[in-house]
Amino acid sequence: MSFKERLGKEWLFWDGGFGSILQEWGLKAGEKPEYWNLQHPEKILRINREYFEAGSDVVNANTFGANALRFPDNLKEIVQSAVRLAKKARKEAHREEDGYIALDLGPTGKLLEPLGDLPFEKAVNLYKEVIGYALEIGVDLILIETMTDAYEAKAAVLAAKESCDLPVCVTVTFDEKGKLLTGGTPESVVALLEGLKVDAIGVNCSLGPKQMIPFIKRMINSSSLPIIVNPNAGLPKSKDGHNYYDMTSEEFVGYMSEIADLEVAVLGGCCGTTPEYIKGLVDMCKTKPFHPPVKKHHSVVTSFSQSVEIGKKPVIIGERINPTGKKKFKEALKNHDINYILSQGLQQEDAGAHILDVNVGLPEINEADTLVEVMSQLQSVTALPLQIDTGDFEAMERSLRLYNGKAMLNSVNGKQEIMDHVFPIVAKYGAVVVALPLDESGIPEISEKRIEIAKKIYKEAEKYGISKDDIVIDGLAMTVSSDSSSALVTLETLRRIRDELQGHSILGVSNISFGLPQRKIINSHFLTMAMHDGLSCAIINPNAQDMMNSYRAYNALTNQDENFNEYISAYADVKTETVKKAVSEMSLFDSVKRGLEKNAAAATKEGLKERDGLTLINEELIPALDEVGKGFENGSIFLPQLLMSAEAAKAAFAVIKESMKGVETESKGKIILATVKGDVHDIGKNIVKVMLENYGYDIIDLGKDVAPEVIVDTAIKNDVRLVGLSALMTTTVVNMEETIRQLREKKPDTLVCVGGAVMTQDYADQIGADAYCKDAMETVHYADSVFIKNEGEK
Amino acid sequence: MKPIRKSEILRYLGYRKDMEINEHTDELIDQCIDELKKVINPQFVYKRFPVKRVDDTILIEGMSINSKALSKNLEGCNEVYLFAATVGIGVDQMIRRVEITNMAKAAIYQATGAEMVECVCDDLNDKLKEQAKEEHLYLKPRFSPGYGDTSLELQKDFERLLKMSEIGIHLTESLLMVPSKSVTAFIGITDYPQKSVSGCKACDKLDCPSRKE
Repeated sequence: MSFKERLGKEWLFWDGGFGSILQEWGLKAGEKPEYWNLQHPEKILRINREYFEAGSDVVNANTFGANALRFPDNLKEIVQSAVRLAKKARKEAHREEDGYIALDLGPTGKLLEPLGDLPFEKAVNLYKEVIGYALEIGVDLILIETMTDAYEAKAAVLAAKESCDLPVCVTVTFDEKGKLLTGGTPESVVALLEGLKVDAIGVNCSLGPKQMIPFIKRMINSSSLPIIVNPNAGLPKSKDGHNYYDMTSEEFVGYMSEIADLEVAVLGGCCGTTPEYIKGLVDMCKTKPFHPPVKKHHSVVTSFSQSVEIGKKPVIIGERINPTGKKKFKEALKNHDINYILSQGLQQEDAGAHILDVNVGLPEINEADTLVEVMSQLQSVTALPLQIDTGDFEAMERSLRLYNGKAMLNSVNGKQEIMDHVFPIVAKYGAVVVALPLDESGIPEISEKRIEIAKKIYKEAEKYGISKDDIVIDGLAMTVSSDSSSALVTLETLRRIRDELQGHSILGVSNISFGLPQRKIINSHFLTMAMHDGLSCAIINPNAQDMMNSYRAYNALTNQDENFNEYISAYADVKTETVKKAVSEMSLFDSVKRGLEKNAAAATKEGLKERDGLTLINEELIPALDEVGKGFENGSIFLPQLLMSAEAAKAAFAVIKESMKGVETESKGKIILATVKGDVHDIGKNIVKVMLENYGYDIIDLGKDVAPEVIVDTAIKNDVRLVGLSALMTTTVVNMEETIRQLREKKPDTLVCVGGAVMTQDYADQIGADAYCKDAMETVHYADSVFIKNEGEK
Repeated sequence: MKPIRKSEILRYLGYRKDMEINEHTDELIDQCIDELKKVINPQFVYKRFPVKRVDDTILIEGMSINSKALSKNLEGCNEVYLFAATVGIGVDQMIRRVEITNMAKAAIYQATGAEMVECVCDDLNDKLKEQAKEEHLYLKPRFSPGYGDTSLELQKDFERLLKMSEIGIHLTESLLMVPSKSVTAFIGITDYPQKSVSGCKACDKLDCPSRKE
């Protein structure tokens, strides 16, 4: 029988520690265990064989750390020798009929983008290469193990699924708080990996069996898959930093016996365990009844670290990342102002959204490219799960592939052609998908028909192995002013989704009120009614107070807000807010000088009643900024205060700009800012940016780790006179020098100023920069000297 | 972890004695400290190795380092600790977030994160000092790759010998550490107490903006 035929139906046993045994046999710190496949094959063979003999049904080939980053010269030889040794061991142990060999894939050793610098697809390819070599010799399954980053696990799973049909098992490594290093939890890991349709999941390494128990229970509660448990022989002890394990096999088996009473399917060990421990497990389980995994019904959306369950209390999905009807947002998309888009996301998170809808569809931009970029940037600043909102199949596929977690997808509908395109993507990557109950004949006007289409969609999804749990039916909120019974139809649809289909529902709530005055009144009351009729997910603007009022009141009244915690934390302080308002009598000048953002905005609004925007800028804003800037330069004010003033000024400028809508505001000039290639931190550059913007410059912010070519091309394309470059480390100053060299060659009239932690005047001279600016204020002065001088020449 | 020293955070932020801090800034700094405390995940790893010095070349477990500064630092040592410590990736995520919404907080988070990882290092340092004391041994001041005349390439040896990625410290192509608030260092072990300069005084980067007077 194959591994897959037995998995989840009877006790199976994995092998135990490997590296820890090699260390006892003389493997040195920093020496790669996989080299022993070539240098000491007899020892590798012996470990593999002894595990088979002890009763392990699955033995890992010694390939855990094998990838092209660690073995650039002889990866194929390393991988294939490992698989050959495992096969030989199986033969010698007479386990050819009932023993299986796993290709063992561990972490790459690099951190994936956007937090680290390994591109996702490169990680996929690193794994594919190893898998390809192993398949040439032949293995029975693939184990992806000791994963501390769920995103890397996703890359490995995709590599496996795209290379072969072998079973894929994944075990992850939690710390003592039940978290992965990048923040994942048992629930988020289960959702992601079930979505990717792996065959079994579990835990290994880092903890002993005792510490793992609570996390195993959480996995069992959320997962329908067979669970693998491969703990260390207790927590590591350390002598001079060299780890060792001192839990005996009896103790180990004792704890594992408790675990065997839970709904787990495969037992084994990790660091510190030996064939003796595995033999103990096999003997212990002889008298233990096997509990096959039980199907669970959860509808879960996750990010890299958070999970949101649909079907408990209503979920708020923020709708603001969407260009429809938003001029500023459209501008931001066209100008590639990603930060504006990100700030829309963060604002909704602060307002109480649980999931963010992401829609960047505009005819004049490439939707797939933009969606992937915005999604990935959002995931670097917020841990909220995202709802990918697009009708473009390419954008759908690429964003679900790169998404870190299990996303929500908006949307599919009952049209056959749409289902034919969308379901294969959902089946491959996993997602909770929004389904609109409409089809080739349009939007049904009665709820019966909507329910009928919903059933058809469930059925079609099932063909792809997509569970009903992963489908959320849209109740279709139609404009009530054009059909006065439409709200009733929508509400009835919601009730029937809940009662007849036992399904989950979603609504774009504010559609209901188009064409009516004071839309928020209708919207917020409709939301309450919809929630009462079973709405699972509300797509709304969480910044709208009335909507959140309805939401919090509903939860409080329906016993879904424990101890009224959410309600109280949202409203208990409302009184004190009004008291604070008195402070807004402070002048704009003082507000900026003291760095009070809210006051600055209020004072600007007040000031605009009597004076125009330009006068405010010239008489209050700029003088305040200048005074703070001078204080910073002469050492009486330090950086945070300078920046608080800058933020206050920014808030004031925003109010003024709003008031001058339509009037072209004049910019002093365009400046490119970039942190050079190799540098992944850009706070210094961002500080400079805030200051320059306040002084009236247009900034083209190219971000960090920017290649010289990109900077040169942008300078040429936008005919930019000044480029500001930042470098943090001596190792990246060479890239700064190269950027300057290329600029001189291709755009000689552009000036370059440089700054950053390692920069000095001498260094700047050496690499041929036009100026060294030691801080943000010096950059402002230099920019003024460049642009004001040039103005004179005109 | 040791208590966070606000004075150090202020120093990283460029604060000098005669400056005045307004109330709002002071409140903001306290708020930032509280916020980061919620996301940090301090981790460290260390190992003890024999060390040999031949003139300015230092030999540790297959590494051969040519450096006057490190050689001076490890004078009289037969053994050395290598360690890596971090406060985790959560701090970087928080910094990225406020870089979009509030640069003042971004600067304060940076400084606070730096102080926090320093506290993790000091903790570990104290622990190792205690252990050394039991063996009647003494520790030298910490020395990190990149100090003086040492190359950042040494980071690769730390990665290999300590398996830093297991506690979540990764190197980029350009040898930066992610999480950014991470530290690697040597700590020499001697069998007699040493009066040696440490901290800023031991470093010859005289123009460093964070140098203590």
